[in-house]
Amino acid sequence: MSTLSDPNFVNPLSLRSRRILVTGAASGIGRITCALLSRLEARVAAVDLDQTGLESLELPGEGHARRCLDLENVDAIPAWMAELALEGGPLSGLVHAAGASCVQPLRLLTPALYRKVLLLNTEAALALARGFQKKAVRDPQGGSIVLISSVMATAGASGAAAYSLSKSALHGLARALAVELAPDRIRVNCVAPGFVRTPMFDRMAALWDPAQLSRVEAAHPLGLGTAADVANSIAFLLADTARWITGSVLTVDGGYTAQ
Amino acid sequence: MNANLVTLITGASSGAGRQIAVSLSRSRRLVLHGRDAGRLIETRELCERPAEHLLWNLDLRQGERIEVSLTQFIEDHGLAVEGFVHCAGALKVQPLRLVERGWAHEIMEVNVMSALEIVRLLVRRKLNDRHLRGVVLVSSTASQFGARGFSVYCASKGALDAFMRAAAVELAPDIRVNSVLPGALRTAMTESMLDDDALKTRMEAQYPLGIGEPGDIAAAVEFLLSDKARWITGQQLVVDGGRTVNLTA
Repeated sequence: MSTLSDPNFVNPLSLRSRRILVTGAASGIGRITCALLSRLEARVAAVDLDQTGLESLELPGEGHARRCLDLENVDAIPAWMAELALEGGPLSGLVHAAGASCVQPLRLLTPALYRKVLLLNTEAALALARGFQKKAVRDPQGGSIVLISSVMATAGASGAAAYSLSKSALHGLARALAVELAPDRIRVNCVAPGFVRTPMFDRMAALWDPAQLSRVEAAHPLGLGTAADVANSIAFLLADTARWITGSVLTVDGGYTAQ
Repeated sequence: MNANLVTLITGASSGAGRQIAVSLSRSRRLVLHGRDAGRLIETRELCERPAEHLLWNLDLRQGERIEVSLTQFIEDHGLAVEGFVHCAGALKVQPLRLVERGWAHEIMEVNVMSALEIVRLLVRRKLNDRHLRGVVLVSSTASQFGARGFSVYCASKGALDAFMRAAAVELAPDIRVNSVLPGALRTAMTESMLDDDALKTRMEAQYPLGIGEPGDIAAAVEFLLSDKARWITGQQLVVDGGRTVNLTA
């Protein structure tokens, strides 16, 4: 029954020769996404603050780029995106996987702390979209923007005020831009992961006691997820499989928000 | 691979259901369900390896017949149903004051109760062991938003999505259950609507990416049914060209 032996079969998720910018590329969801996209024959432009992590990223195929950049410098984003496009060709896709976690009770949540979270998670996303829309940056055939939000955009938890705020704003951003950028054939969607085993998760889980960890696990009917589970959905939204999907949130959470 | 492993698609005789059948036939053996036997055969001819796929002919408005009919069908063919796509749907647009219990009940039977009945049968150990792995229900953006004359349809799709979430939680971790929420597609059902130029212009203005094609829904169904979605359950995937996020039209 396999179609793989069929010479005419085209992988519907194929991203052949499309150029896709991934932020947060050195670790977690961003890192696994870069690996998957390169296997789908995309040319990846990997951006992260972590130079060592970027260098160790394994990207099969040609035409990839790695840039060590600080996304907290939001004002500079559109300029380096234009440079990137000039050097390696226009972008067909953008994945904003960079993000800061923040678990702080409200009384300890200082403006400096929550502004830092908003800057990286939300404002950088907006600046990346601004950069992407520029005619010199995007592929005239159209594009797909995927913003990584979180189940915390729709569910609440103690100490999650700043994180929830920053991630739910991405849902609003995606909906507004979906309508505004449709005439440019740019689709904008979110992937909202539940708790996935990544370095960020491990840092957070280190603050929990074992009972709390097993409660979190039990809250996911399919168990905890992996970064690859999220990467597969990102690829689906980038590829032509999602050509009529815009303004949507694809929740990948093992059933966390269904109950 | 177990040659008796099949995926059941209801409403496969036309529109999105037919396209879902064509797409899934590239990698799966199918049971094609439909009410119209002639058009069901047409769907099978459009599929890859037509001879492999089975046809199950039943009017889902007669919900009380599903149990006997499906049980017998599975037993006669010795099938193991691993996937279920519910694409059968009925729509009647009428102002609330003109709704009649009779046809309202039929729409609930086709759109919701038959899905519940089929999933209930497919999780019976005696009938289908533990073969069922994935369920995708084709709902509608009407489960989330109201429209004039759509009271029964909206109620049926809202119930379908509520059932989807409950089943997802109850049947995890062995079976994943999700829904796809399409906006208006170009199908035989809507072709006459889209012939009306004024209506077509109005609809196109509402859809930032234009009117959709059945293939757009098929791609989403195929993804949710595949292992690539192995951690997705209890979710509604909206596939509507941006219609429901568009406040400017």
